[in-house]
Amino acid sequence: MRNRASTVAAYAFLSLFFVAFLYPFLWMIASSLKPDLEIVSMGLTSSNYTLGNYLLVFSRAPVVRAFLNSLIVASAVTVSVVLFGAMVGYALAKVKWKGSVYLTAFLLFTMMLPFQLTLIPTYTLIVKLGLTDNLLGLILPNMLTAVAVIMFRQFFQSIPDTILEAARVDGCSEVKLVFKIVMPLAKPAVVTVAIITFLTSWNDVLWPIMVIRERDLMTLPQLVTTFVLGGEAESHLGAKLASATLLAVPIVVFYSFFQRSIVQSFASSGVKG
Amino acid sequence: MCRPSTATAVLLLSALLAGGCSRNRSASGGGGAVVTLTYWTSTNRQEVALATELVGKWNRLHPKIQVRMQQLPVNQSTEEVIVAAVSAGTTPDICSNIWPGSVPEYARAGALVRLNQFADFDSLVRARMSEAAMAGFRSEDGNSYQIPWKTNPVMMIYNRQLFRRAGIANPPRTYSEYLADAGRLTFDENHDGVVDHWMGYRDVRPIWWQRFFDFYTLYCAAAGDRPIVEKGGVTADPQVCAEVFGFFAECFRNGFYPKTFFQFDPFIAGNVATEFVGPWTISYIKENYAGQIDYGIVPVPVPDSYRGPESTYGDHKCMVIFSTSRHPAEAWEFLKFLVNEEADLRLLQVASQIPVRRDIVWAPSYRSFFDANPDLRLFASQALTAREVGQSPDEKEIFDTISQVFEECSVYNRSTPNEAAAALLKRIGAILAWNR
Amino acid sequence: MMLRARSHGWLLSSPYLVYAAVFVVFPLAFSLYLVFHRWDGMAAPVFVGLGNLARLVQDPLFYRSILNTLEFLVIHIPLQIVFALLFAVALNSITWLRGFFRAVYFMPVVVSGVVVTILWQQLYSYDNGVLNTILTHLGLGRVPWVTSPALAMPSIALMATWKNVGLYTVMFLVGLQDIPAEMHEAARIDGATAVKRFLRITVPLLRPTMTLVVVLSTINGFSLFVEPYVMTGGGPLNSTLSTVLYIYNQGFYFGHLGYGAALGFVFALIILVVVLIQRKALESA
Repeated sequence: MRNRASTVAAYAFLSLFFVAFLYPFLWMIASSLKPDLEIVSMGLTSSNYTLGNYLLVFSRAPVVRAFLNSLIVASAVTVSVVLFGAMVGYALAKVKWKGSVYLTAFLLFTMMLPFQLTLIPTYTLIVKLGLTDNLLGLILPNMLTAVAVIMFRQFFQSIPDTILEAARVDGCSEVKLVFKIVMPLAKPAVVTVAIITFLTSWNDVLWPIMVIRERDLMTLPQLVTTFVLGGEAESHLGAKLASATLLAVPIVVFYSFFQRSIVQSFASSGVKG
Repeated sequence: MCRPSTATAVLLLSALLAGGCSRNRSASGGGGAVVTLTYWTSTNRQEVALATELVGKWNRLHPKIQVRMQQLPVNQSTEEVIVAAVSAGTTPDICSNIWPGSVPEYARAGALVRLNQFADFDSLVRARMSEAAMAGFRSEDGNSYQIPWKTNPVMMIYNRQLFRRAGIANPPRTYSEYLADAGRLTFDENHDGVVDHWMGYRDVRPIWWQRFFDFYTLYCAAAGDRPIVEKGGVTADPQVCAEVFGFFAECFRNGFYPKTFFQFDPFIAGNVATEFVGPWTISYIKENYAGQIDYGIVPVPVPDSYRGPESTYGDHKCMVIFSTSRHPAEAWEFLKFLVNEEADLRLLQVASQIPVRRDIVWAPSYRSFFDANPDLRLFASQALTAREVGQSPDEKEIFDTISQVFEECSVYNRSTPNEAAAALLKRIGAILAWNR
Repeated sequence: MMLRARSHGWLLSSPYLVYAAVFVVFPLAFSLYLVFHRWDGMAAPVFVGLGNLARLVQDPLFYRSILNTLEFLVIHIPLQIVFALLFAVALNSITWLRGFFRAVYFMPVVVSGVVVTILWQQLYSYDNGVLNTILTHLGLGRVPWVTSPALAMPSIALMATWKNVGLYTVMFLVGLQDIPAEMHEAARIDGATAVKRFLRITVPLLRPTMTLVVVLSTINGFSLFVEPYVMTGGGPLNSTLSTVLYIYNQGFYFGHLGYGAALGFVFALIILVVVLIQRKALESA
């Protein structure tokens, strides 16, 4: 009896917050389909639904191109971070060498630095490399992150040494160990790092604004930000919300496919912190 | 066994390096001595249309000097983009979207070409503006690094229908009239106990450039030709500062202005009776709400005791040539093309923005445009006396301070107007001292 | 064997070493150089010795921004932990639709901060925002969410909680699922109430997750930037001026890159101290 009451309470509680989490998104989508002057209302329905806001966005901003740019950048960054992050993470977790202590301390130190500290010097560097208005300028500075290395390190620490020792006794080299034995075991960590890296890269705005000026090379969030804050949206609130919706949709679709993986990967990496 | 794996990683890295998407920067064609200039415009849609048209025409006329157009993001980080480009030496040849307040900084860094080195600079400038007007755009070292291109003088737009309903025949001219009218134009239409119509609206966020369109507009209108800062010293008139702070303090304290920020334009939505705007608002209304809003345009209000000529803030944009240009002479030719009589007419027609020309109001070439657009003639008539921010390298910081004091005194009533004016002068002095 | 391990260690770490040399050490060294210089990002830097640090110690806005950031953390972290824990316990107690609820709660985590801020700007709008419309329909007064100096930072903390709570809910949920059901069963047979079981069994066993959540959200909280940047610009009356926003303003807006670098270094030290103290406290508690 008590159990049933608490279950009902749990559902009621969860449903209440379900509305709190979903309604704002629904409101955004509904408002993006309304004429400007109707948006002030909080209702989701309108007798004047229109695609006008979207047509405005598509006619004024290269949305598809920006989507592809974001995809290229985020994918390249993700592949690189997973590959190199795993290599370094393994070196720190499973190879017994003196440098690992210092390197780990250094990594933890860099994680605490506000990124704004190094923004201008990094930008100057990208310019010296001739990579402004070039997607590589977005990719190179993000090819590895301290967080990814630390996450791999923590995951690898959980792999029993006995498995590795057995392989080593069989004459397997460290590098081969990483790719043949450890990586397959580390699939959850790979998925976690990949997803987090991909999302972080996809959602970044400040760095693209610094590096990319060519409209055809802009990433999607950059394009939306410049569209909303800049002159193109003028005072069309509907168009602003439409562009925000266009920015949200790909990521929500992506999320709906990988939602379970995200949660499961947190299961493997989260608790060991 | 380890070697091949590392090699694979290295290969992947280089594949990533090589496979990225890039754009060829030096896209000049085959014909020997073709010069390519890069031109940065704003992202404003009409300005892009104008620039596309003018660049296309130029490129047809000048096969040996080809211009490539790029849009500059017009958001809160426009200056960051330029500063970063200057520090990195990646500035274009020409940019037409330069805020005059940022020019001294760029000039001090040696990023701009001195324009008065060109023989025909003086004649070009004299044709466009009076000596007094040009003085405001001259650097403290006496040189000129910018050509004022266009202006959007700020005026007061008012909703005729709301005024009529409140039984007010004429729009206010002085602060007292404005505040008296405000009492009748601020009300709760749907009687839900909450005011939904206001006299005016200003974004209350401490965003420095928002102060161009409230504090500084009214300061320019009331202070004659006394700039805030000149030649490294604070020259602001404390009396006028206090009056302007006090005016807005009344607006906020009495609820004539809501303490909020809207993402839509409340004037267009019919929720506010007046707004301080540039001509862009007129073209926006014409394009999107033609015939739906009954509006009038008048000069911004002034203190009751003010007896001087009409003036306002001009919101100018300038053209500059960056010193990274390898072809400054060609860039100068292109710049002159962008401000010739015909290009200026196209600026009016395509973008509804006012070119900086002393003959704008009476020149025959523009008459038919203004006959068809009488609202813009009103703005054009203000253009000749409209003022700009000063030419110190600290303008942004000065306006940030104005914004903070405006917030303290006018919006949140934490200090009296006289205290605010004194604090403002003191803080600006401190900024100048630190940046010496 | 030792030699082999060492060389492999260096070899496997080489991608990071190269990366760090170029994209961490160089920019860091350059920033350190800037601490002792005045530089507008364009002209040549001018050596000012300890001038930047001298200005910093008497800069009221710097202290204000530190206090604001701490205020954000003090509101945001407990709020986040309480709600994440409640959501996790509720989700753990149901089976039907659990994945569905979890998915929806997690959604704001993955959506761009730009979208979330544009959206919440509308929700928080004083005169016709969705939140105030609900309040007026309920017969309550309107709340000046982001235009009152007292409420602006709590409002930003609330928005940040909405955006991030799904992440921490999922982390707690995983922790909860690792607690053996027999422990609760045994406690129930011993007559322990639900609240008692929660406090005596659940909370202590969630300690590692708790530590992680606190440390992660502290580090994230210290980099608070986008929300006030887009939503309030640091106002009203500097109440939402976070330290990173202030560094950004000084460095990029006003062109005081040297001073910005000095602020950054001192701030980094403060973060380091806070995180170390926090860790010690959490580990020994």
